Amino acid sequence: MFRNILVPTDGSPLSRRAIQQAVRFAKEQKARVTGLYVAPPYKPGVIEDASMLNFVTPRQYEESVSATARKYLKVIETAAAAAGVPCQTLHTLSDYPYDEIVRTARRRKCDLIHMASHGRRGISRLLLGSQTAKVLALSTIPVIVCR
Amino acid sequence: MFRNILVPTDGSARSRRAIGRAVRLAKEQKARVTGLWVAPVWQPNLYAYDESVPAGFISPRQFAANTRKIAARQLGAVRKAAAAARVPCRTVSAQSNFPHLEIIKAARRNRCDLIVMASHGRRGISRMLLGSQTSMVLAHATVPVMVCR
Repeated sequence: MFRNILVPTDGSPLSRRAIQQAVRFAKEQKARVTGLYVAPPYKPGVIEDASMLNFVTPRQYEESVSATARKYLKVIETAAAAAGVPCQTLHTLSDYPYDEIVRTARRRKCDLIHMASHGRRGISRLLLGSQTAKVLALSTIPVIVCR
Repeated sequence: MFRNILVPTDGSARSRRAIGRAVRLAKEQKARVTGLWVAPVWQPNLYAYDESVPAGFISPRQFAANTRKIAARQLGAVRKAAAAARVPCRTVSAQSNFPHLEIIKAARRNRCDLIVMASHGRRGISRMLLGSQTSMVLAHATVPVMVCR
């Protein structure tokens, strides 16, 4: 029924559980998996005085994001490889992960999004994580929400 | 991966689409489907304070009869879809003013491992990002929920 499942991750433990489930499901569906990590964009700090101790150059930031992305997306790649599920991963920069998730699903022609109910900021008093809620609101394809 | 898929329905077009998806998925997974419809609780409509019976009054008995008829129709839709796909199907109905609670309960009681439901229901006010019952089910479900539109 599904050919290409988008699996967003933010590296959190709940994300990991969602990844395991999504890969299992993809295997049964004989589908492929598209992993996605969204990082915030580079923001130069505003420095009042002359001390540039904590200043991060755009290049340094990019390297740091790439390293984080590789780490988080490797979880998906490893799980997919172990299950024999074709897998592609990518990371993008945005302040609005939900927007990137929906956009990427469209660009990559995914037909299902499989994501966790909450993310890194897993504030459990929130009935539903902020990004998951917005993805549900904006997605035109089905979304499996797991916890 | 999924053995028993719960499909709550409220008779809306979106619900019907969710039923279609659930049945298709069940067929692929060699799973069964459990259809659920939740009726509202009887409310007396007290228009008048005198002894005469108000024009819009429906007795509890009449309400129960109406409910049974509607349940048969709503759940019949699930049964029909399942039968056409040769998917084992069970249907249940409940009565509550809080459908989301009945949905969670039904998932537990029937040992469903996935809930497939529409993003919005009958009152599908599309300016609402997500239907009220779907939101509450997502908040409290202990099994994955597939939200369809």
